[in-house]
Amino acid sequence: MTQYETAFLISPNLEEEAIEKVISQMAEVVKKKGKLINEDRWGKKKLAYPIQKFEEAFYVFFLYEADPAVPFELERQFKQTEAILRYLTIKKETKEKEVPEEEKSLPASEEKPTEGEDVGGDIEEEAVEKKKKDEEADEKEEAVEKEEKVDEEVSLPEEKEKEED
Amino acid sequence: MAREQRTERSSFRRYFPPKRKVCRFCQRNVRDIDYKNVDILKRYILERGKISPRRVSGTCSYHQRRLSTAIKRARILALLPFLED
Repeated sequence: MTQYETAFLISPNLEEEAIEKVISQMAEVVKKKGKLINEDRWGKKKLAYPIQKFEEAFYVFFLYEADPAVPFELERQFKQTEAILRYLTIKKETKEKEVPEEEKSLPASEEKPTEGEDVGGDIEEEAVEKKKKDEEADEKEEAVEKEEKVDEEVSLPEEKEKEED
Repeated sequence: MAREQRTERSSFRRYFPPKRKVCRFCQRNVRDIDYKNVDILKRYILERGKISPRRVSGTCSYHQRRLSTAIKRARILALLPFLED
């Protein structure tokens, strides 16, 4: 028996009853030969990109324990049902059970937004600032060099004149 | 000339050494990265929707691998964009 997690998206133009029907139908497929551990519904959610010209979809997640035949059967059902826009089945790692770190990781992940906001952004900004500094440093260097050159040019003729005198 | 510039650069780095990056997942002792946790994953994609490279985000190789699979899974479910403009 392996733990699987199956996620699927139901098209948004169905009525609530029809959606219920689809979900219960899929749940029964799992229950027949396996153990449904958790059923998670996110409700209607905006998609990051349109799927079949839909901008929204119903998100449903099944966490279950079963033989590998069950996810196959589920996916077969998904292909037959037109209302299912997309599905994804994942084999859960069994190590998760042994190590109780999963519980730790969840609150930690919730804390994250307050402490470490815009991780990527910060770093990018830093990089830009560094670049600017680099450029500034370069400019200064060049300026200094130019000044030195000018000094030399100015000083040289004077020396020559002195020598001539 | 070239040699002089290089020494100038290194002295600049001596006074302003690059900030050392640490893997944020290791800091928090996170073992697995869940593809459903969009808020976290979003922080590791660039504005074009690409996965941020390790040299930018400072993630360790173990967690970068986990992170990339999580982001790819989230993309399939339209939780994250494949590309953004």
